[in-house]
Amino acid sequence: MTYLDLSAIGLRYGDNVILDGIDLSVEQGEMHVLLGPSGCGKTTLLRSIAGLVQPDRGAIHLAGRAIEMLHPKDRGIGMVFQHYALFPNMTVRQNLAFGLEQRRLVRKVIDEKIDAVLEIVSLQNKADARPRQLSGGQKQRVALARALVLEPSLLLLDEPLSALDAQIRKRLRDELKRIQRRTGLTSILVTHDQDEALSLGDRISVMNNGRITQTASGPEIFYRPADLFVAKFIGNANILTAAEFSRLIGRDFDQTAIIHPHVFKIGKASEGSNLFEVAATVVETVAAGNVVRYVMQANGIMFNVEAQSAMNEECLAAGTGTTLSINPSNGHFLKEN
Amino acid sequence: MSHHASPAMKLLAAPFLLMLAALVVWPLATVLIDSFSKGGVWSLGNYAEILTSAYYGQSFVNSLLISAVTTAIGVLFGFLIAVSLRYRSGGTRRIAMALANIGANLAGVPLAMALIFLLGLNGTLTIVLKASGLIGSFNVYSLTGLIIAYCYFQIALAVLLIIPVLDGIETELEEAASLIGVGTTRFWLRVGLPVVGRQMVAITTLLFANAMGTYATTLALTGTSVNVITIRISELVSGDVFSDPNLANAIAIALFLVLLVPIVVSQLLLKGDKR
Repeated sequence: MTYLDLSAIGLRYGDNVILDGIDLSVEQGEMHVLLGPSGCGKTTLLRSIAGLVQPDRGAIHLAGRAIEMLHPKDRGIGMVFQHYALFPNMTVRQNLAFGLEQRRLVRKVIDEKIDAVLEIVSLQNKADARPRQLSGGQKQRVALARALVLEPSLLLLDEPLSALDAQIRKRLRDELKRIQRRTGLTSILVTHDQDEALSLGDRISVMNNGRITQTASGPEIFYRPADLFVAKFIGNANILTAAEFSRLIGRDFDQTAIIHPHVFKIGKASEGSNLFEVAATVVETVAAGNVVRYVMQANGIMFNVEAQSAMNEECLAAGTGTTLSINPSNGHFLKEN
Repeated sequence: MSHHASPAMKLLAAPFLLMLAALVVWPLATVLIDSFSKGGVWSLGNYAEILTSAYYGQSFVNSLLISAVTTAIGVLFGFLIAVSLRYRSGGTRRIAMALANIGANLAGVPLAMALIFLLGLNGTLTIVLKASGLIGSFNVYSLTGLIIAYCYFQIALAVLLIIPVLDGIETELEEAASLIGVGTTRFWLRVGLPVVGRQMVAITTLLFANAMGTYATTLALTGTSVNVITIRISELVSGDVFSDPNLANAIAIALFLVLLVPIVVSQLLLKGDKR
């Protein structure tokens, strides 16, 4: 059942169309990711749901209730900001208590709720610290706790990991996923990082120029992008025009081919299969841990190939000739305009 | 790199130190030394006179009163105006900043003249208010008149100083507060003001000192009729009848000490509140 429903959300500033008729349904308990390049409207869409931006048109229903005209505080939505937005003059506990006090709860209840949430984000021992005494990752966990403690019906996360350095980002990403699973809280996360989107999102909406280009599960978006924009934005697939692909396989073909580097298999196809075989030359070799990345050339077409590396196996040196086999059912094809 | 500058680098500060000595240390030292000279002999007589004279005592009380009231009004309205300008577009902000800039610098004779035209015995506003029966009579050449005049530049100066301070509070903080159900007033009382508390104390001290030292506006509006400290000093320095520059020096030192009090107190307060 649809839990959050956006229909025809539109917003323009002067001649600039920021949101161009967005329709989106999010299921209860889902972690939904809005993914797109900067300026695509993803943050504005998130802020519209929160009520921090008022769209020109469109309707927003949350749990069956129309909320588009409500004040942010009445929407029952929690939000985590990119730069934490913690109240710097308050301790962690006071930050969490601020919203609860507004609800006129008894002190004891407030303390219990705060302790429970601090346990979820593993910050029990930081309750009396001030924001400036915390690391970036800890700050963001406090921000998450501040949103969770009010038991919102929807959690919005605006690039929550992008201000953190790589190590912390990965750890907090996993923790975010765990917390979201544990609380079962319907969440929408905005990011421009495809890895983050693929590893966090139950479903992903790819946005471009104020529109949603495709909404689907991570694997679906990854392997079956709806158009060239999504294909280019997600992953590092080889995108070959019909002409290029025809030359590569030596056969007439009328669609753009999207072939991930790991889809190419090094070695001959087994006897009797319907795989294509291509004679290729290695142009460049990069051994990066468990994978080897090759740039190869065949019939005048350059493309990327990725293979698993093994401990006792040499990778192909540049200049080596090899045979590649391609299973067309592992590629994705788009009609050319 | 070393944190200690080499002797050659230290020499670069010499022109500044020389200027400081010539423009601050030397005059201040002269004033201080001369303040202990009464009738050509060394004594504490000038200070004794200030402390025992009801007349000079009153001038201090009046100056302190006007300064405290106009500082309070300036900070309050300056803060409210600066907060409301936060929610306005760039255009409105720029116009308000320009007006505040004019206000903060329009002191002295032009301000006094403007007030006389508006609120003088035959001022436009006085006549209108009298005709409408709202006031019986109003005398702008009074302590109240001075408070109105000072407020004009105190509020403008406060707006100019507070706007950039409030820019230090990210709008995300306000948004976060509104999402957890905290209203604007509560946000400013619990988060906004405490966050900029140090700067607000500094601005308050500056406004207070600004008011205590105001001379041109006072002289232009009320002449010597309202007994405030700066008028007394000028009278003793340039007066034909009561000229006593060394007594003026002593009053200036006393004024300096009075101004030192809020500065020291605010520094101590802030020390206890090291965040």
